[in-house]
Amino acid sequence: MIVPVGAVLGLSAVLFGIGVFGFLARRNIILMLISVEVMLNAVNLSLAGFSRHLQDLRGQVLALFVIAVAAAEVGVGLGLVIALNRNKPGAAVADLTKLKW
Amino acid sequence: MTLITATFYYMAAASVASALLAVTRKNPVHSMLWVLALFLHVAGIFLLLGAEFLAAVQVIVYAGAILIFYLFVVMLINLPEEEARPRFGNHWPFAAAVALCFASVAWLARVGAGLAPVGTREAAEAAPQGSLSAIGMALFGPFALPFEMASLLLLAAIIGAVVLARRRTAGS
Repeated sequence: MIVPVGAVLGLSAVLFGIGVFGFLARRNIILMLISVEVMLNAVNLSLAGFSRHLQDLRGQVLALFVIAVAAAEVGVGLGLVIALNRNKPGAAVADLTKLKW
Repeated sequence: MTLITATFYYMAAASVASALLAVTRKNPVHSMLWVLALFLHVAGIFLLLGAEFLAAVQVIVYAGAILIFYLFVVMLINLPEEEARPRFGNHWPFAAAVALCFASVAWLARVGAGLAPVGTREAAEAAPQGSLSAIGMALFGPFALPFEMASLLLLAAIIGAVVLARRRTAGS
């Protein structure tokens, strides 16, 4: 089992960068939330890599908590998307310029 | 280069490619499918890192639950104009610059972290990594309070999602 931990961390950095770009650049709120998922996956990768490197289970437990928080975030975030869509069709963030309809 | 290392590099390249495609596709459903590919490859990397339970949770929760939820919402919401409009905002070069800066900083921090091999004594005595019983003992032992708080957080998220997405009746 020879997986270089430095390569895992580098992959995590690249994936996080891709997620940051998607979150900042996309105009669709659903795609922005998907980019957040990409970032969370990158963090989980680095946690698992450290857990492997340090021979410590705490990294994996933290990654499990990150997955639980991601599930909660998806539930609330997509509920918000549905509520916004009821007021104004579409999912473009540029259209969300009013606080009250 | 052993077979496992080669497999790791394949998984890494495939996950970077699918993440790039997921972020840049115009059709949201195509994006979802590329994210599914990303999740499965990340689960494979978890397997290579000896985190079998994490890989199973990744496939079941991320690919099985979260992504299906996203797909349902994409199908619920009508996105007719999404194909016609530009997929990135006008500020996308700034976004790319920020992402590049962050990725470079994280990459340099990886080099500077000094990933010296830890003492082999603890490593030899440690429980086998990723075994389900070890993770269960950790979750219900030292991590019992965060575990219960995660359940509270999920309960709050359920109630919040129901309240947010509820259809307003005329009376309320």
